[in-house]
Amino acid sequence: MAVLVKKVELNWLDRTYVWPVLMGMIITMRHFLKQISTRSSRRFTIPYPDRKRATAPGYRGLHELKRFQDGSIKCVACFMCAEACPARCITIESEEFGDINKTQGFQEKRPAVFKIDMLRCIYCAMCEEACPKDAIWLRTDYEQASYDRLSMQYGKWDLMNTYADKDGKALLTQDPTPTVPRPPVNT
Amino acid sequence: MESLASLLHLMPETFWMLVKVFIVFLGPLTLAALLTWAERRGSAMIQDRIGPNRALLFGRWRLLGLPQLAADGIKFFLKEDLVPTDSSAMLFWLAPILAFVPAMMGFAVIPFGRSFSQGGHQYHLSLLDPGNGMGMLYPLAIGAVAVYGILTAAWSSNNKWSILGGMRSAAQMVSYEIAMGLAVVAIFMRTGGYDPQQIIEAQRGLWNVLPQAVGFLVFFVCMFAETNRLPFDFAEGESEIVAGFHTEYGSMKFALLQLSEYVHIVTASALIVTLFFGGWRIPFVAEPPVLLSVAAFAVKLVFFCWVFIWVRWTIPRFRFDQLMFLGWKVMLPLSLGNLLLQAWLMHGGA
Repeated sequence: MAVLVKKVELNWLDRTYVWPVLMGMIITMRHFLKQISTRSSRRFTIPYPDRKRATAPGYRGLHELKRFQDGSIKCVACFMCAEACPARCITIESEEFGDINKTQGFQEKRPAVFKIDMLRCIYCAMCEEACPKDAIWLRTDYEQASYDRLSMQYGKWDLMNTYADKDGKALLTQDPTPTVPRPPVNT
Repeated sequence: MESLASLLHLMPETFWMLVKVFIVFLGPLTLAALLTWAERRGSAMIQDRIGPNRALLFGRWRLLGLPQLAADGIKFFLKEDLVPTDSSAMLFWLAPILAFVPAMMGFAVIPFGRSFSQGGHQYHLSLLDPGNGMGMLYPLAIGAVAVYGILTAAWSSNNKWSILGGMRSAAQMVSYEIAMGLAVVAIFMRTGGYDPQQIIEAQRGLWNVLPQAVGFLVFFVCMFAETNRLPFDFAEGESEIVAGFHTEYGSMKFALLQLSEYVHIVTASALIVTLFFGGWRIPFVAEPPVLLSVAAFAVKLVFFCWVFIWVRWTIPRFRFDQLMFLGWKVMLPLSLGNLLLQAWLMHGGA
């Protein structure tokens, strides 16, 4: 392969080296003055813990398992997300539940265990894409550091409560499964 | 002045000497400490960053990041004082002192204000009174000694990067010292003496920077080499030889080496101001009041300190052969030519 050698011819002013240096110093001084006269809130750098960056609408942050208005989980334990997950970080164990079985005449499932290993998760939102019930989605939270590995294993209740504070919802510790059938959703 | 001295049961001369020692030692030290802050914040601003601003005074006041100085100081004091096992321990200990002391000493002859007389006594605002016989030769001699600190630090740490840095620093010093000396000699010729007081006196009405523009350029560039600052910081050269001569240094010894670099900047700025920018003189003011003259000197000093920082964050490091080329083939002929021109002008110009 031929190597192209580009030779730059400098004029005498550039070859003195003094003039280009002065020009460069003017550039740096311009940056200095601009930055020093900019208010801290308008600078490029966001002073992170004090001020946080607003996430874009499509941001893929921490997961949430959605719930119905009465608080019961939307997930029907169909395993689609676990299948779609390229990192294989979702573990689901399903169970049959409730009186709906008796009243509606068919088996309904829900996850007994819904676990996401956040250390493995790559935040690709494939689970969100795969979910037929829109029961899982990735939202804005990106601060998930912890002091031990175990607390990075998010269980079902953790995932249902991840955005409870932000949305002003109650923290759930047990499934308020309705004992009567839900009214049909108006479409 | 005399009443203050008598309060302390001291001769006015002794008292004045103590005051001057206080100023000359604490002034550059404080300024050097502030320069580390100015360097970090200033460089951040130049690069559109913010710089250190997380250290809080008493957990409350941010003060533009100034508490970082105190935090760094405390950190350096509390860190383990590590001496590598293969190093030459005594020289390793000695090197920071060897680097620091000459940096502090250089300031001694610089007049930082106008001399004044009070109560029959003549008070000079420089640590060594004028007419001491050393004059400007003293800071030049001291400046040449400064490289031994770096060389000792490099040699004693028994580390190949350190030795490379030290060697480069020594070679650089050799190639720039001559050009610098000749530039200063041209000033001496113009002044007719080498006492800083005389040099400042000779700059009444016209600062040396205009008639000696070439000399100023050479001296200014050589000062960058002298202080081991970018674009000539070959003693360090982070991208090439780790941290150069202070690779093995940590804790307070490192702080001392670093501080000596900044004190060097202060001294170099003082030299530039004295030789080329009229020392404590103020334009269009024949005999400024003493305090005003000190303020004028301080303003010039701080400005040139800032230029040192400003240049560092503008120009990348030279390659070593480029430095040698610049030193021997550009600076030295320029300086010699300037000297010859001055001699010719002195002779009568025809």
